[in-house]
Amino acid sequence: MNKKLGVYICHCGGNISDYVDVEKVRLSVENEEGVFIAKTTMFACGDSNQKEMVEDIKNNHLDGVVVASCSPKLHLLTFRAVTERGELNKYNYIHANIREQASWAHSDDKARATEKAIHIVKAAIAKVRYAESLVPIKIKSIKSVAVIGGGVAGMKAAIELSNLGCQVYIIEREYFVGGRVSQWDALFTTNETGKELVTRLYNDLVKRRNITIYTSTEVISCSGNIGDFKLKIKTTPRYIKEKCNLGELQNAIDACPVEVPDDFNFHITSRKAIYHNFPGEYPQSPVIDIKNCTRCGACEKICENVDFSQKEEITDINVGSVLMATGFDPYTPADGEFGYNSFDNVVTLPQFKRMIDLSDEKLTFKGREIKNIAYIYCVGSRQVEGENKYCSRYCCTSAIHAAINAKKKFRNIYNFHFTRGIRTYGKQEVLYDESSRMGDIYLQSYENDPPVVTGMNDKTVVRINDILTGKREMEVEADLVVLITGMVPRKDNSVGSLFKLPKGRDRFFNEIHMKLRPVETVIDGITISGACQGPKNIMEAVNSALSAATKSYSYVSKGELELEPIIARIDKNLCTWCNACSQACPFDAVKMEEDKTKVFAVINSSVCKGCGMCLPVCPTDAINLIAYSNSEIESMIDALA
Amino acid sequence: MQGQIEEASYDVLVIGGGIAGGEAALNLANNGFKVLIIEKDLSIGGKMILLSKVFPTLDCSACITTPKVSEISRHPAITIFTGSEVQKIIKKDYNSFEVEVLKNPRYVIEEECTGCQLCEQACPVIVKDEYQFNLVGRKAAFIPFTIASPKVAAIDIENCTLCGACEKACPPKCIDFTQEKEEYRIKIKSIIIATGFKLFDPLMMPRYGFGLYKNIITSMQMERQLAPTRPFNTILRPGDGKVPCKVAYVLCTGSRDATIGNPICSQICCMYSIKQAQLLMGALPMADVTIYYLNIRSFGKGFEEFYEQAKGMGVNFVKGKIGKISELENGNLMLRYEDINENKVKEAEHDIVVLSVGVIANQDTAALFPDEQLKLDSFNFINQPDPLATPARTSIDGVFVAGTASGPMDIPDSILSAGSASSEAMSYLIQKK
Repeated sequence: MNKKLGVYICHCGGNISDYVDVEKVRLSVENEEGVFIAKTTMFACGDSNQKEMVEDIKNNHLDGVVVASCSPKLHLLTFRAVTERGELNKYNYIHANIREQASWAHSDDKARATEKAIHIVKAAIAKVRYAESLVPIKIKSIKSVAVIGGGVAGMKAAIELSNLGCQVYIIEREYFVGGRVSQWDALFTTNETGKELVTRLYNDLVKRRNITIYTSTEVISCSGNIGDFKLKIKTTPRYIKEKCNLGELQNAIDACPVEVPDDFNFHITSRKAIYHNFPGEYPQSPVIDIKNCTRCGACEKICENVDFSQKEEITDINVGSVLMATGFDPYTPADGEFGYNSFDNVVTLPQFKRMIDLSDEKLTFKGREIKNIAYIYCVGSRQVEGENKYCSRYCCTSAIHAAINAKKKFRNIYNFHFTRGIRTYGKQEVLYDESSRMGDIYLQSYENDPPVVTGMNDKTVVRINDILTGKREMEVEADLVVLITGMVPRKDNSVGSLFKLPKGRDRFFNEIHMKLRPVETVIDGITISGACQGPKNIMEAVNSALSAATKSYSYVSKGELELEPIIARIDKNLCTWCNACSQACPFDAVKMEEDKTKVFAVINSSVCKGCGMCLPVCPTDAINLIAYSNSEIESMIDALA
Repeated sequence: MQGQIEEASYDVLVIGGGIAGGEAALNLANNGFKVLIIEKDLSIGGKMILLSKVFPTLDCSACITTPKVSEISRHPAITIFTGSEVQKIIKKDYNSFEVEVLKNPRYVIEEECTGCQLCEQACPVIVKDEYQFNLVGRKAAFIPFTIASPKVAAIDIENCTLCGACEKACPPKCIDFTQEKEEYRIKIKSIIIATGFKLFDPLMMPRYGFGLYKNIITSMQMERQLAPTRPFNTILRPGDGKVPCKVAYVLCTGSRDATIGNPICSQICCMYSIKQAQLLMGALPMADVTIYYLNIRSFGKGFEEFYEQAKGMGVNFVKGKIGKISELENGNLMLRYEDINENKVKEAEHDIVVLSVGVIANQDTAALFPDEQLKLDSFNFINQPDPLATPARTSIDGVFVAGTASGPMDIPDSILSAGSASSEAMSYLIQKK
């Protein structure tokens, strides 16, 4: 059958037509076999052109459509939808990319850019001749979502999903929920404390029947796919009975002989192996940190709530979508970086924030009263040498806020800020103003000349060549040096690897498109939110969490999902089960099956992404990719040649 | 004329059809809620649809906005009123509002216009084109811009001479001068305010000489010159049509400046200026571009790398505040500034100056609620009473805020804030059921 085809060539404003002669492309393809309509258009994706295409397809009963425009990443779905509105099966649409592949790539040679565009369009026309109507694969979707991480982002997302009627599982690796925010004292801009904010969210969470919270729990395996993920989660016991007497437990804590650095206070204090972080934390029960426990039995003797017989538990949960809210780690400076671990009065911003919270009346550190504080900015961010090229976004504001709080809480505090240019963006600028008015001193170093921390006769001195006073060398004798450390991705990224989540250049999880699909990942059904995607402040993290919750909800709300039918197909008769395809498959979509006559490979159609990795490794040519058959590809190659 | 939509009621009213309002509307409509968008402009798409490329990915802005706009305008659960204004919003009972909407006449029958632009060719009146930020002219009968949605003509009645040329030229005869203002009363359950921001008007800073010296333009005027639907096919300075070769950017024009009443940072100007500088280096390979800044605030994902890329391309960054701009005989401009790195007051000559104007609150919405107070913050943006836990909440129950109506934001943040607002609105609607 000779197909009746429509071909549209887009100017993309000037993005294409500045370098590719679109009219020439049109003339070169209009007489190709089957081409019934060949048009150029200013913006193919524009509403008016979409309407025109729909009319063309309907009125002329077209059998195939080609748009030559930008990358299919941007608009393949747009034009498939147009084709569908023209009452033609959407898989009869073929996309030709003449922007990224012709006009932008060859802006220095217009004639050859045009020639290349012509070949690309001809190849698309060759392919569309083979296009067949396909039906999307329909799968069931379970109306439940796993939220990985019980910090503020995770908690907010869970509350939203619960409101929308989803079953929610919060999976928190730590013994307590609340994440980083529970470690902070007064927060900008409200001055609510982190603990208060976490408490507020937790109280909302626990009254909901459709939210289950797992603490000290990690995902250990994941199988399945969007709509039907099967997670295995492992819960480490708390070794404390569920109903316990907190007074008695305090005696047990006092009796514990083990002292380990306290992670909650970023190691500026120590804690016991049986411990809790602060009164009112969630869940409200202490825990025995079994990794550090020596099993001396001291606590057990005093307190009958201790129960060493508790066992690790493995639970299976089944969810339609996974929402990642795994947060960040604060950057840990290298030994000697601005005196870190070389001088005992050099701390990080998170440590300093805990110090402010833990000190009353006087700010002291290691027994010494603190008066002069030097803050060194951009430690671990905007690195000239290291790999963290990005700005951590929250630290300028957070540091200034902490400095103001220190000044307000304690007497005789003098703040000296060694900056690389303050970035209190937006309304946060008022904080910079306030701190300047309170008499804080701001200095700024040159890009390649960072401040230097030295020790002299029991004193710690920070020296800088200051931009703001015209290259003058300035020095401050500091009682405390605070390194304003940025955000880095979680050191332990096992859960990210488990879900095969891609990472960006900054090593944080990456979204599909910053503006069009900001909370989706290339793994269907998995959304990302909060600081695991990149540095964010609390408000930004909550906004992204709610956006991700809405997206995850859209995967599960209808109980059914449509998946791409462009997947691999195995010819059972040709297959000899050599296992090569299953080893090549990055998605675990190939399974072995067996009937009376033979062993052969089958494709799990809801897991297969149609990537084609299995095709070339098959020795018997038993695999075919729907819509990318050998004859289709060969005809495209012929058109390109 | 009193228009009444019979039984008109919607779950959510979205005020403003820019990228934030559009994103919020789509989220709601895709989850089964009925949405009404009121847009005062003749097209939806807001400011984003008029931009060139967007930082830090250099995606073509029109190319990523148009499909969204098209999806919004086609969605069966979304109704759009363009050229319309919300007049008043009254809280009726615990879960509903009554909204008065004024639809201004377009003098064109929307359903019948084919967007052929023959009226535009026939119209003899030429006025400044606000969609090209006054760089060129447009007719009184006009289609706002190539990718406008709806792509339907409108008559600018204030400038129209009623000569009737357009009526004669229009093939489907859809020009209708008898159209009048229409008022609607609509029942709404929840509201999202997505009214965006205004650009700082540099006429408020006489020492920069904007309006007086022809070769000083705003960043939005440069943005249009770089857009795919640009008015000229190259970059021109307006004074004499010369292609510029020494371009200056003046950052923080109208931001971080208490003297003009805006002490806060606008959050986007550093990045859009760096972006424009990169695009200019591509468009005018021989041009020198200098950015005069106080602090470069490239804080978002991929932003610092984008800034480094600009430095690598040869954009000249000078830390210094511009004191005064004066014009030379040849139309060039002399910038007097403090070079902070070198601690010297210097002068530099440029042939075009771009003022990187800041983000100013759009205060139009505050007066819409006669019975209840929609609180504003001290910079006249919409106040967020619980910014950390529920950033989209406002001082009125059932009214949420999305995008730059609550403060300066870039596009990714606006989109996430819209996701947040639509999510809060969904929860609110479900709880009130």
